[in-house]
Amino acid sequence: MKTKNSIALWSLTASLGLFLLAGCGKKEEQPAATPVASAPAAAPATPIDPATAASISGTVKFEGEAPKAAKIDMSQDPACKGTNIAENVMASGGHLGNVFVYVKEGLGSRTFDVPKDAITLDQSGCKYHPHVLGVVANQTIKIVNSDQTTHNIHPTPKDNREWNESQPPSAAPLEKTFAREEIMLPVKCNQHPWMRMFVNVTKSPFFAVTGTDGKFEIKGLPPGDYTIAFIHEKLGEQDVKVTLVAKDTKTVDATFKP
Amino acid sequence: MPEKPIPENDPVVSKSLAPHYLISMVILMATFFWAMWDEDFGQRPWKAFQHEWKDRYSTFLKNARSQSGDAQKEVESSPDYQKLKQDYEAASQNATPRIKEINEKLHDLSAQILAVQTVFTDRRAYVNALTYSIETETSASSKQSKLKDLASYKQEKTSVTMPDGKKQDFDFDHLEETYNDLKNERTQLSAELGDLIKPVNEKKQLMDSYLSDHMVNLTPSQLTNLQNGVDAWTPKIRQINVNEHTADLVREDSANIVDRCESCHMGIREPVKLTAASMSAKGKKPDEYARAFTSHPEPDLLKIHDPDKFGCAPCHQGNGRATTSVAKAHGNYEHWLWPLFSPGNYESGCQICHSADMVVVSNDIGWTLTEGKDLFRQRGCMGCHRYEGYDKEPEDLLSIAQQIKQLDQEKRDNFKQAGDLMKQADKAENNDEANRLNDRAVALKVTNSKLDLRIVQLDRSTKSLLQDTKKVGPNLKDIRLKLNKNWIPVWLKKPSDFRATTKMPNFRLNDDQIKAISAFLWQSALLDPLPKRNPGNAAHGKELFESRGCLACHSIGEGDQLQGGTFAANLTRVGEKDNYDYLVRWVHNARERTRPYCPLEKKDIGPEDYKKKGLPYVFDLDHSKCPNDGHELQVQNMTVMPSLRLSSEDAQDVASYLVTLKKQQPSSYPDAPFMDDPNLKAEGKKWVRHFGCAGCHEISGLEDEGRIGTELTTEGSKPIERLDFALLTEVAARGGSEPITDPDDRSRLPEGPAQKPWYDQKGFFEHKLAEPNIWDKGKEKIETEKLRMPNLHLSREQVRALTTFLLGSQENPLPPNYQYRPLDYRRDVQEGWWIVKKYNCMGCHQLIPGQKTSLMAMARYQDAQEQLPPKLLTEGSRVDPEWLLRFLKNPALNDKDNNRNGVRSYLQVRMPTFSFSENELGKLVRFFQALSRQPFPYIPEEVPVLTTKETEMARSLFSSTAAPCLKCHATGDPAHDRFATAPNFLQARGRLKPDWMERWIIDPQAIAPGTSMPSGLFKRQNGHWVFSGPTPASFQGYDKDQTKLLVDYILQLTPEEQRRVSAAMGRSSASTGSSPTGAKSSGNAGRGAP
Repeated sequence: MKTKNSIALWSLTASLGLFLLAGCGKKEEQPAATPVASAPAAAPATPIDPATAASISGTVKFEGEAPKAAKIDMSQDPACKGTNIAENVMASGGHLGNVFVYVKEGLGSRTFDVPKDAITLDQSGCKYHPHVLGVVANQTIKIVNSDQTTHNIHPTPKDNREWNESQPPSAAPLEKTFAREEIMLPVKCNQHPWMRMFVNVTKSPFFAVTGTDGKFEIKGLPPGDYTIAFIHEKLGEQDVKVTLVAKDTKTVDATFKP
Repeated sequence: MPEKPIPENDPVVSKSLAPHYLISMVILMATFFWAMWDEDFGQRPWKAFQHEWKDRYSTFLKNARSQSGDAQKEVESSPDYQKLKQDYEAASQNATPRIKEINEKLHDLSAQILAVQTVFTDRRAYVNALTYSIETETSASSKQSKLKDLASYKQEKTSVTMPDGKKQDFDFDHLEETYNDLKNERTQLSAELGDLIKPVNEKKQLMDSYLSDHMVNLTPSQLTNLQNGVDAWTPKIRQINVNEHTADLVREDSANIVDRCESCHMGIREPVKLTAASMSAKGKKPDEYARAFTSHPEPDLLKIHDPDKFGCAPCHQGNGRATTSVAKAHGNYEHWLWPLFSPGNYESGCQICHSADMVVVSNDIGWTLTEGKDLFRQRGCMGCHRYEGYDKEPEDLLSIAQQIKQLDQEKRDNFKQAGDLMKQADKAENNDEANRLNDRAVALKVTNSKLDLRIVQLDRSTKSLLQDTKKVGPNLKDIRLKLNKNWIPVWLKKPSDFRATTKMPNFRLNDDQIKAISAFLWQSALLDPLPKRNPGNAAHGKELFESRGCLACHSIGEGDQLQGGTFAANLTRVGEKDNYDYLVRWVHNARERTRPYCPLEKKDIGPEDYKKKGLPYVFDLDHSKCPNDGHELQVQNMTVMPSLRLSSEDAQDVASYLVTLKKQQPSSYPDAPFMDDPNLKAEGKKWVRHFGCAGCHEISGLEDEGRIGTELTTEGSKPIERLDFALLTEVAARGGSEPITDPDDRSRLPEGPAQKPWYDQKGFFEHKLAEPNIWDKGKEKIETEKLRMPNLHLSREQVRALTTFLLGSQENPLPPNYQYRPLDYRRDVQEGWWIVKKYNCMGCHQLIPGQKTSLMAMARYQDAQEQLPPKLLTEGSRVDPEWLLRFLKNPALNDKDNNRNGVRSYLQVRMPTFSFSENELGKLVRFFQALSRQPFPYIPEEVPVLTTKETEMARSLFSSTAAPCLKCHATGDPAHDRFATAPNFLQARGRLKPDWMERWIIDPQAIAPGTSMPSGLFKRQNGHWVFSGPTPASFQGYDKDQTKLLVDYILQLTPEEQRRVSAAMGRSSASTGSSPTGAKSSGNAGRGAP
């Protein structure tokens, strides 16, 4: 019996060994892991060949009778000098100003460098200059107070973080950035309720704001199919599709109705 | 002894036993191996888990990148990630055009539906009303003529203006068809859109999770330590004994919970985030092992509930002791009563210990369980079902009455005993004895006076409790004064047809029941006359309705157009049912009763009762004693609706607006003469009692009705055998086809129509809530025996929430020291939430960061956030509790003029008067203090008196152009306050806590995110807070906190000082000559003006 026992034990050991081996065998299946690849870091921006770059330009028109710009009573703060009219619909001679125009779709996964230069937002005459502003995400906005009164700058974003900071007269400029894309992000001053402006944060630098003549121009676009969006704070959004070939210069117009 | 000869053919000798031995040996060996295998693997499947864990986790750790340095870029540049990224981009490019197309189509369709809907719903309502009148018509001839009417009405053509401007004519059937077609098309497109978006989102998720799966928040050395730990691991059971910590004091009734869950779920507590994907074998989908090894999704919860103490099963259920199979460990077998909670109901586990919490965690937003608790209360479930803690005022009233009785008895006994003692003292043998007895008598007298005061307190509690008792539904004693008589039977037929979002459930009443019930209610209602009111200005009423804050609780509009809160009724059709005069009274003060009710006499007390005693017929919170017996009366309507302190004229204007809200004329409801039939009254009362209407409504003669439903406090602990699936038991256990056939009810099932067996508590609750009479299916029953539970027309998510709530409603199996029954400040928080939720404070105020109020979503506040009610995130540390008490009592903070806001005079929206009882006032004040962990009672700190120089310095700061405080803060000067968006400084003293004020002026955005008050006014310099703008010259050499100086100045500000400063700032009334004409500022015009 002794031998049998030892045989049994031996075979048990052997089979256990087999089990273990089988267990070890599983090790060959490597759990998901990061291969230690040394591929180059993600390219910061896709270069655009200036030789093929196209551009679009156009005019934004306003159909119908332009509403008479409402006057704003600024008497509550004597430091607010000059006449002030509401800037919500700036239309003259059938042209519409303060329309934000940008490439909404068609740039795919292209990435862009954040411009190094800061964009200035000036508060002067208790009014924002400009009234509609475009920036690339993370681009610095330099906020200046040229008035002899205190302002506070209070953006009320949907997708970015909200803040509200005081800026006394001749204080140092505030430097701020917005990290996420957001169109028509309202900015206001709580002390001067008429003071309102809009920041547009986009991924690409392809945007423009129409002047009082309704004109705009976007340069340096690579060829492709694009959706161009025209957005006005009161009159809403219009999208236009456009196809650009190399070195194209296309005219894209839009018309808003009251 | 001679040896016996060996017999021939002795089988022992001649036959070989080798085959027997061999066979036995083989069997023995096989058994032995089997036993060995079973011992080591068969009975121990967790070992396989642990081996697998060791491999996978150690590979994970080897490849994990510490989240420092360039790890992210490195991971992003790996080919795997790049592949995922390409996949995502390709999918997104593919889907975009079609998604856009569908979105455009959907947009068009919605416009068309809207156009058709407005016409269609009007006409349908008329058809329904006609159909109903035909059904209830008794004479055959008029039935015929009405049928004709109906047919001709249906053929009448109406024109619908389509969104493209074209007009189209439809008869009723065609209209219905068009409407349904449009809706079907919309559903199809929405589904297609969902299908399109899904793969794109999935790809994006894959991409993002790849990134997070390969990044860990540990340093390289920590990673190495983990790695060493894994390498050294030998398989063993990981066990938590939930009783271990009280081992020296194990109670018999305490839980015998032993948890071995972590023997397989090895990754639950690891310090790195493990997802199923990161624990999968490379290139394979997450398998059983990968899913088991993930870390706990809410590590913060584990911090509060230490797994070594709590284990897993007390929250998750299942059989924590079982180790022989996954199904057994999860309790998914017939011999275990409480299986693991399924993913949709995880939060049930919280309810087991947190049943007393209305808000479970302090950042509770969007919790399923909390929604369940709210629904249980708001939908009036507790009208029929007792549930501990809910609607407990009537019970408390009883217990107080009992206590008073006992105390009275005790008093009498004491009195008698004191008399006896004094008598004994008089006859005592010696002076010592006499003095001792007299002392005892005196002590008893003192005791009695204490008892007297205790009884006074209890009487006051009674008053409080009567005041706190609320009903979910309106008082039906008033229906003759309030309602359009003919509307009542139509409403009872199916309330959700009239008002889709109503709390009133559908009782599946037949026409006889409707007739009898309406007749009973009508005939038992009060007949007191209401004062006639002059018509008001509906346009002004609309403005008031939208601006005073009614929409924080009420909603208006239907379907996509709905705006406002969901707490109270949708008022879109209120003009069809309510009488103008009654509405005026209601809007002015909803709590005003027609007659006070005496709970002792059980009757409504009228002027005749007062007259008998020679008393004026006046009853309110200050005159709440019954003229007949001096007992406390119910003097208020038992509604949570507060008073907005509108003037009578304003109330008339609002009511005038409300009566214009209708889709059809009140007169178009068919006559209901049967409601005056006295023969129906008794029958009606029977049905009203049968259906438990008095659970939610106040009804004459049924004020003391008990609840008709099962108690649900521990419903989740009921073993499955005690839940009656009736004839569906087999179907449920087998998992046959879904027994709910009604498409509406079917859509309420959180998991969709049954796919697999659902014979468990979850299946029972879900089916019952989706179609409450489901267990009547296939049975023949007489009316009185049918299931009474009405259909609450819940949405799928609501059924899920209530199911979660019920599954967790259990007898707590844990030892008492595990349960959440705090006695410190947290108890005040716990109690406070009940009141906050009861009155829907969160419809207006933000109490939890990130919580959305009903008002925030409204268009009128999008550009005027400063017009929203204040956020109360730090209210306890902001205000003096005594002030808060005064304010909550009367938010106007003014005895003469009530028609105003006490603090924020510039707000259109009004803080209402809730007429809180003493009890609730105390709880609310303590709640806010506790929420901010402030000491209670509060002892205000001395405000130092500033020297003249300091005052001057502070004044120069207060009025400097760089800190123009008075630009926004109100001063009380109406001309100035037109532009005010912040409270008057004169209110700071006695209201605000100085420490808080200092925090506030340093960084208001951190206290009330989004406030108009800007941050950055002060900066830290040399260890002190100094003003950021140009500092006035007088500050030269001042080395204390300038914030403190300003706060002290504000606290001793006088009206004269404020006027002087205001005038000096050039913002006196001189500049108000010109009225504001600007479009932008017109919103402010007139606000706060006299």
